[in-house]
This record gives sequence, C-alpha cells and structure tokens, in this order.
Amino acid sequence: MLNRRDFLRLVVKGAVLGNFLNLVGPPLEKAAAAGEVNRLPVIWLETGSCTGDSISLDNIWTPALMDILYKILDWRYDWVVMQSSAESAFQVLLDTVENMANQYTLVVQGTMLQRDGGNYNHIAYHDGKLITGLELVRRVGLKARYVVAIGTCATYGGVVAAYPNPTQGTGVQNILPERRVINVSGCPTHPDWIMGTLLHLALYGEPELDSFGRPKMFYGETIHNNCPRRRYYDQGIFATDIGQKECLYRVGCKGPVTYADCPIRRWNDRMNWPIGCNSPCIGCTEPGFPDKMEPFTAHFPDIPFPGGTRMATDKIGLGVLGLTGTAITAHLAASLYKGRLHHNLLKSTVKQNSRPPVKKTKSAKTYRLKKANPATPQPNSPGSS
Amino acid sequence: MRQTLKKELQKGSLRHQAIPAQPALVRICHWGFALSMAGLLLTGFELHQPAHFLAFQFGQEYIIHLTFSWLSMAFFMLRVTDAIFRKDRSILVGFKDIKNFPKLLSYYLFLRSSPPPAGKYNSGQKLFFTSWLVLFILGSILGLASYDQGEHLAWIVRLTGGWQMLRWAKYAIAIYFGATISVHIYLSLTEDLSRLQAMITGFEDKFEHAKTR
Repeated sequence: MLNRRDFLRLVVKGAVLGNFLNLVGPPLEKAAAAGEVNRLPVIWLETGSCTGDSISLDNIWTPALMDILYKILDWRYDWVVMQSSAESAFQVLLDTVENMANQYTLVVQGTMLQRDGGNYNHIAYHDGKLITGLELVRRVGLKARYVVAIGTCATYGGVVAAYPNPTQGTGVQNILPERRVINVSGCPTHPDWIMGTLLHLALYGEPELDSFGRPKMFYGETIHNNCPRRRYYDQGIFATDIGQKECLYRVGCKGPVTYADCPIRRWNDRMNWPIGCNSPCIGCTEPGFPDKMEPFTAHFPDIPFPGGTRMATDKIGLGVLGLTGTAITAHLAASLYKGRLHHNLLKSTVKQNSRPPVKKTKSAKTYRLKKANPATPQPNSPGSS
Repeated sequence: MRQTLKKELQKGSLRHQAIPAQPALVRICHWGFALSMAGLLLTGFELHQPAHFLAFQFGQEYIIHLTFSWLSMAFFMLRVTDAIFRKDRSILVGFKDIKNFPKLLSYYLFLRSSPPPAGKYNSGQKLFFTSWLVLFILGSILGLASYDQGEHLAWIVRLTGGWQMLRWAKYAIAIYFGATISVHIYLSLTEDLSRLQAMITGFEDKFEHAKTR
C-alpha cells in the first residue's frame, strides 16, 4: 500500500509523465482487493452547471474510469453515469445518506442557485415533490464525512454567478457554513485534480488546503512560476498578440495570479494546454472567475459604473494620472497669470536685506521690480536695514 | 496677508531668519523614501504594463522592484519610529485641518489671495501625509502577501477576495501615490521654496520684525 509521501510523489511524477492515475491506480486496486483500503462511498450531485466537470472526468484514459469508480472508490450516486433512473436511483442516494452517514463523501458540481428558495434548480423528484439543489446539498452535506466542491461553479459561483448573477448563484461553502468544503476549482476541473483529491480522502483523509480551500498538491504554485515561457518573461520578451510564441503577459495572461499545475500536468491526456496553444491563461481556478478575470486580454477587470457602463481599469488609472498632470499644468498657468508664482518665489527666496521693492502684486502683468529711484533707499545700501 | 507683507517689506521692517525646521533623520527618511518610492512606482508600472521601447530584463527589474520596496519600508518605519519617539504628530490630520481644508482649497482655486493660517504643515499636506501613512501600510501588507505567495499572510489574500483583487488594490494604491506625489512635488516647488530648502538644509527662512531682533 502506498504511503502518503509516495502518493504525493506520484502526484508530481504523474503530472510530468502524464499518467498519474496509471501510476496510482494499480497499487491502489491491489490494496482495495486485499481489503487494505476502505472504498470511499461517493455521492455526486449536480446543481446549476453545464456538466463540464463530469465530461472532464471522462477524459481519464488509463486506467479506465470504471476501474476507479468500482474498484477504488464506491461511486454510489451520480446521475451522469448511473444506469438506473427516477425513484430507484434516488432511493440509492437516500439509502446511502441514511445508512452511511459520516462515511460517504459528497461531491457537488455546479453553482448553488439561491434565488426564490433555489427553485430555479430542481435536481430530484421524490414523494410527489420537486427537490431543489440548495435543499438536497444541505441535507446530504450535513451528514457527509467530506464535502468536495468540483469546478469553479461549485467552489466560488463561477460563470453561473457572473454579473449580473440573476439566480443569486454562489459556492457550496456559502450554503454549508457548518462544514469545511474542499474546493477543487477549475473550469472545468482537471480529472487528475478530482481523482487525486478523492483518492487522498480515501487513503489519508483531508489534504493540505490553501486559504481558498484548495488542495495544495494541485494548487500550490502559480501558473506563472511553472510556465515554460517564463524565460521570455524574465528576458522581457512579450507577445504583442494572441497566437504568438512569446510570453503572453502583455495580452492579459492571468498566470501570475492563478494557482494550478496546468503547465506541468497539461490537459487532454497531456496533449496541450491554453498557453501551449498561444492563448493566455484566463484564471479559471481563481475565486471571482470570470468577472474578476475579464476581459481575458487585459490584466484587470473592467470597473462597472451606474447605468451599465464599464471602463477598463488601466484607462481609469491613466486617466487619473493624466487629469492630475492637466490640473497641475492649468494651475501653473493660472499662477503665472495671476502673479502668485512670482509672489511665492520671491517671498520664499529673496532675503530681506537684498529684497528689491515691488510694485502692485495683483497680477503677473503688474508684478515688476521698481526702477531704481534715488529717493528710495535701495537694498544693501547704507540705512536700508 | 500679502498686502501686509508687501508693506512690511517695502518699509524694510522685516528681517529673515533661518530657523531649524527639519531634523536630519526626517530629511534622510524623506529623501530616502522619495527615491525608493519613485523607483518602486516606476518599476511597478513597468512590471504591470511593459513598455515596448524599454527592453528591460524582467527578472532583474523584479529584483529592483523588490529592493525598492524593502528600502521604502525601511525608511517608512524609521520615520514612524522617529515620530513616535519625538511625539511628533505634525503630519497627522485633525478635525481642525478638515475644517480648514475648504479654505485652503479655495486658495488653490484662486478664490482667496492667501492660504489659511497653518502650523508646520497645512491641512492639505496633512491630508496627503495621513493618507500616505495609511495606504503605504496597506500597500506594504498587500505587497508582502503577494511576495509570500500564500506561504504567509494567506488570510490577507482571502480577505481581499483573491490574487487578482489584491493586484488590483495594489495598482489603485500606486495610482493614488503617483497622482498625489506629483501634486506634492508641484506645490513644493511653487508655494514656498524655503520649505523645500528646509528639507535639504534643515533650516527654513522665516520673517520676523527687525525690532524684535
């Protein structure tokens, strides 16, 4: 049986070689068959989402997904992969909640829609009553051993909760404040992140999490730090347009603020990843995606103004600096015209014993040195001080 | 006030006197902080939006940015410690300053001929200095949190709502500093050069009546 240290080593090695589950699967299958591992019962609920994370999970090639679902984990309820349907399927969920309380793991995919008591998202029908996602996640989540939110929708609201968020969508943690939710974010989530987290839960319990509840083994480093194009950044060589092979920082890459191991793990069985095909990272694993990451070709999100107008942060910043410069120039011109500049400079620089007599000081035009008048004692002349 | 000064000057009854205004430590901190802030802001803006015409090495520029940030924090802490030990509250804004600020603003807008009476610093300066105090502390904490990349101060990242918002907040603070420092430099050069002189030599020229000497 793998110890935790070996498991974490395989997480990294599997990312580099592109066969994490292939490395982890066989020893775990053996251990499960020998009864050394208690298979972790899993309930997978889907709320407001596009099913993208389930599709992403299907991308596990080796070993086959079914091997993991049935030999290592105890995949009990998931409407996408279940053969049964309707009451018989839902009865499996009810039985698991009833008989395996505090043993099973709840996996949630999708945003929690809160508006109108969650009635924009019905995910079950039981006893002649529609059950909302909000209600079922709370009911099942409170009795679960672990609660795992899969995908950026379930973790932080994601695309469904984007502005103007008409359904008042939010992440699972916000509707289950009593429980610590493990967030496996991403749009979609990488299959290794899902399975790696579930396997860690089954074998060693809760993994080490970052401040946003994400397992550090997958979200411990920024995209930027591991990016194969980092050398371009360090040399100051930037792409000026999407599609170029240099560092995409200038065209809005969110790699510096995005924590995930995409650069080493890559996607679609290690075929490629966004930056690998010359497109900037859009920061899909971070809280606030997509609102805080849009526009994807700029560093900062646009700032909304009343009336629906939006303006780029950089433009506002440059505008503030430009306005300051204009105000300073205008004030300088006005000071020159009004004579204030002359007055202030003379007042603060010319010493009294050499201070020349001055005319009226109402405006610049009349602010002149007086011509030498023999009747008037001049500065530095005897008797002037 | 200006008319009175003019009359006094013409009568020759005023004399200037150099009085000590800024202790050496304050001057060192001021110029050290000014230079490091200038470097910090310029490298920060360049790191944020690289200019095409500047072929900088970003690895080195980042190190320079960090160096300036550590230096500015050192000068800031030195100045604050000095102010605490000397019980110097002159840079902090008070209720009276807020009350006087509209008068000062009307002076800057040429609606009155002279600024309202003030002590060592006027109300506008105090507003700037106090805001810099608060925002520099905030900016430093945000900077340290981003420097540590979640190893320490992770709660700050969480509080701000993520790395992207943390970066946004740092940018907003940098813009504020950029704008207000420009105003500060402009007014220092055009309002009272003896104050600027005091920040270099330590002594400020003040007028006093010849009879009192």
